[in-house]
Amino acid sequence: MKEFAPLLHGYWYLLRGAGMTLLMAGAAILPATACGILLAMAQVFGNRFARSAVVGYLFIVRGIPLLVLLTFTYYLLPLTGIDLPPFWGVVLVMALYYAAFMSEVFRAGILSLPQGQWDAARSLGMTRRLMLQIVIFPQALRLASPPFVSLCANLVKATSLVSIVGLWELTMASREIVERTLAPFQIFLGAAAIYFCICYTLALYGRYLESRVLHGH
Amino acid sequence: MLEVADVSKRFGTLEVLRGVSLSVAPGEVVVVIGPSGSGKTTLLRCINLLEDYERGTVTVDGDPIGYRLDRRAGQRVRMSEREIAAARENVGMVFQSFNLFPHMNALQNVMAAPVRVKGIPRARAEARARELLTMVGLSDKVAEYPVRLSGGQQQRVAIARALAMDPKIMLFDEVTSALDPELVGEVLAAMQQLARAGMTMVVVTHEMSFARDIADRIVFMDDGLVVEQGKPDQLLFSPATDRVRAFLKRYNDRYRI
Repeated sequence: MKEFAPLLHGYWYLLRGAGMTLLMAGAAILPATACGILLAMAQVFGNRFARSAVVGYLFIVRGIPLLVLLTFTYYLLPLTGIDLPPFWGVVLVMALYYAAFMSEVFRAGILSLPQGQWDAARSLGMTRRLMLQIVIFPQALRLASPPFVSLCANLVKATSLVSIVGLWELTMASREIVERTLAPFQIFLGAAAIYFCICYTLALYGRYLESRVLHGH
Repeated sequence: MLEVADVSKRFGTLEVLRGVSLSVAPGEVVVVIGPSGSGKTTLLRCINLLEDYERGTVTVDGDPIGYRLDRRAGQRVRMSEREIAAARENVGMVFQSFNLFPHMNALQNVMAAPVRVKGIPRARAEARARELLTMVGLSDKVAEYPVRLSGGQQQRVAIARALAMDPKIMLFDEVTSALDPELVGEVLAAMQQLARAGMTMVVVTHEMSFARDIADRIVFMDDGLVVEQGKPDQLLFSPATDRVRAFLKRYNDRYRI
């Protein structure tokens, strides 16, 4: 047990780092979801211009690693004169980045509804807005919820990248303790366990949602 | 009541409807028969503009649905989405694949559109929905979700859902084709009841004996055209055209037990 003394010593620091990780992930997930839904709608219902704009955006985002985008923004922001605290800069980049993947999840949810649902709604005299509101979205969001949750777990893990641009969160906190205690294995084992707990909880929740989708009401 | 005037529709290079005209009187039950691919289903879907068409117009009770004829310009003008949605309220439709909303129970399926589209107060819409579900024999299933209902029950909910909008005319698109044989009867009975109550109906079906029972007039379509129409007994037993004779012979050969 003596080998794990550094972990006992630094666990509170790690948990504070984990809190920061969750805060950052949460702050990014909300706008990412909102933008993802908007992008999905633009792609499914928009005119030709809107559709190709979204497709272009997805194409670019999917072709660039998040780490490169984060670093790029880190150097770019000061040059543009935009005075954004690093935390919010990172949240912005993560949100815009993950919005692209979220939009794919929501788009798949909308498109996987059978044509008959649209036909039935229209034949009842529903306007497009009402049809989306009471027929399409409630079903599409349910269908999209399992992949959405797994994407959120993905985002939580991706926050570990921001330590590169100097933001303090779980991974950064671990590195700091390692520098003081010179016990990298114990500390990173602890950090890994925390990441795993967060993501496993999300995965369980995702599986619960999936079983609900599969078995109906 | 319903006037379909010279409607033409193509999918790519395939002409599905080649100038179809059809008028249906109030309270009349018209059954459309014909081989698959003859354009029957497409005709129904064009009537309430689930399918767009290149030529022709449709009116219900004199009101255009989809395209309005501009007399001065001598051409048709597409109505706005809002106007089209409003016009569709007058046309109820029941589909081969039921298409109930799976996230709503039977009662919610039936009352959603009256409440949200027509703005009928919730209590009144619910009373009416229960009445309609009772009429189709499902008073004990109001709280069930579609997954828990048989095909025949789902289809009867779908009929109640369409009726809840108080349409002037009902369209039935092969509504028994997806059902197990022993469930067909209950759906046909609900339609029969509706016909007797004086509803104007256009029915696409492959059930010939049902067609004979329920129809005031049978329309035979082939290759995107109305080939022949007439009283059921006349069309089914002494058709005027070879095309109908050939179709009925093939049908009888297949279903003779």
